[in-house]
Amino acid sequence: MEKDKTLWRVAMLIPPLAVFGILVVWPLFSSFYYSITNWNGFSADYRYVGFDNFLQIFHDPLFTRAAVNTVIWMLAAVIVPTGLGLVLALLIDSQVPGASVFKSIFYLPICLSAIVVGQIWVWIYQPDWGLLNTAISLVTGGNSHFAWLAKPGTALYAVIAAWSWQQTGLAMVIFLAGLTAIPADLIEVCHIEGASSGQRIRQVVLPLLRPATVVVVALGLINSLKGFDILYIMTGGGPFNSSDTLAMHMYNESFKKYHMGYGSAISVVLFLIALAIIFAYFRQLRKVDEIYE
Amino acid sequence: MNDRFASAAMPSFNPWQAAIFVCLTVLALLFLAPTIGVLLSSLKTTEDIALGKLWSFPTSLYLDNFRTVLADPAIHTYFLNTLLIAVPATAGSIVLGILSGYVFAKLPFRGSDVLFLAIVAGMFFPPQVILIPLFRLFNGLGLLDTLWPMIFVHIAMGIPICTLMMRNFFATVPAALREAAIIEGASEWQVLTKVALPLSLPALAVLSTLQFTWIWNDFLWPLIFTQSDDKRTIMLGLVFLQGQYSVAWGIQGALSLIASLPTLIVFLFFQRYFIKGMTMGAVKG
Repeated sequence: MEKDKTLWRVAMLIPPLAVFGILVVWPLFSSFYYSITNWNGFSADYRYVGFDNFLQIFHDPLFTRAAVNTVIWMLAAVIVPTGLGLVLALLIDSQVPGASVFKSIFYLPICLSAIVVGQIWVWIYQPDWGLLNTAISLVTGGNSHFAWLAKPGTALYAVIAAWSWQQTGLAMVIFLAGLTAIPADLIEVCHIEGASSGQRIRQVVLPLLRPATVVVVALGLINSLKGFDILYIMTGGGPFNSSDTLAMHMYNESFKKYHMGYGSAISVVLFLIALAIIFAYFRQLRKVDEIYE
Repeated sequence: MNDRFASAAMPSFNPWQAAIFVCLTVLALLFLAPTIGVLLSSLKTTEDIALGKLWSFPTSLYLDNFRTVLADPAIHTYFLNTLLIAVPATAGSIVLGILSGYVFAKLPFRGSDVLFLAIVAGMFFPPQVILIPLFRLFNGLGLLDTLWPMIFVHIAMGIPICTLMMRNFFATVPAALREAAIIEGASEWQVLTKVALPLSLPALAVLSTLQFTWIWNDFLWPLIFTQSDDKRTIMLGLVFLQGQYSVAWGIQGALSLIASLPTLIVFLFFQRYFIKGMTMGAVKG
């Protein structure tokens, strides 16, 4: 019986583990290896360069730029969709008529591809007839033709706005799932005890939304670290690298300049950041589990 | 939606409720504006848009943009390529997820929790981390500029989410059901295919919608792995055609809409599964 079980375990685990091992785990470790070589992507002739690629990181102003932008991007991408998603979830959960229609509207952008979202927002920022300039002209009565994506001062934030538009729906549904998990009796007690809506939300609902918040923040951090497609189509990292992120920089170094060794070193940095987030995330989840058990 | 607040005596008109409704309506219109803009642009001529008439309601139904896009043979190729990738990759990742999910849920062993967590963690890493070695692997196999790398990579990248969902779903199948079948002389394979899977159709629906949407919308992998026009997927093709129709904004709008059509249909009809998948995958990570 136990022997049978072991056989089935092996038989059932080999196909998924083999595919995952060959196409995910092995490449991950190869990245570490390439990061200490000067491979150019094609030639068989490359050699070991030790930590040169990692040292180069400190002398690469574009890397510093991309790293700072990535931090800004991650912070904004966490704060804006999380805050907005929470507000929307609380509003929708208040038994407002048409709640499911509202939910669908806010959720719709998440099923669009980042490419389409990027393109939509390129139109919004279009200098001559884009929605943003049209709206500003209407409000101020002037004639606004600002090129939001072509100015180093605004490009990054313009892309972050588009990103937030897409990600807010995801945060909202996770908060809504968290709200549904709050026991109805607890809310009833609040009403019986005469707590105001503000008190109820601040002292009962928000603390109970902690697990959902952990998930939303972790996903926000991870997704923004991965963010590439929307930048690629909206700015390509420009103008003058002003909206470059680490993911973008890694792509440019590896597949535009064919510095695959250096590109691998950047990907190792990305891996370490992701690893730190995942660790913190799993630990938080465990803590949350302990509270509720 | 839920009636948790209904127990508190609700007056027929609640000013708070009205305020919330107005608030949500304004936000919803703001949220819809970008999408409406694309829809409007796809129904207008380039001249109209350039003259600043984009944001006015179209007076007549102008469908030439859609005709141009639908008649473009390149679009047909992009659609076909994307389907040829998305369908087998969705199926493949779900099949592999069923296998590993079943073991983790019903046949746990020493260390299986750690292995499970390690696989699930794979969901969170930026794809850039494995880009270069995979490029080299497929180059060595002579598979660059074919559809195969995308199929393989999407199957592999789908394993974490499929394993997670199937394990969570199989965990809800009562252990007694499996034991009874085993005592009757069924093998684990029969338990999986005849008992557990028929009970898991909702999970399969969730995973199919999620995986299909992600793979359809993917951009990075075909960007790295393909070169020729007849191997492009729809999202890559979209970026390429943007150059070709650079100032034809109306055509670009129609293009975006048509490229999003399959995922919009999935969203409209399977929204429940889609949202469930997103929250399940996230909350139980």
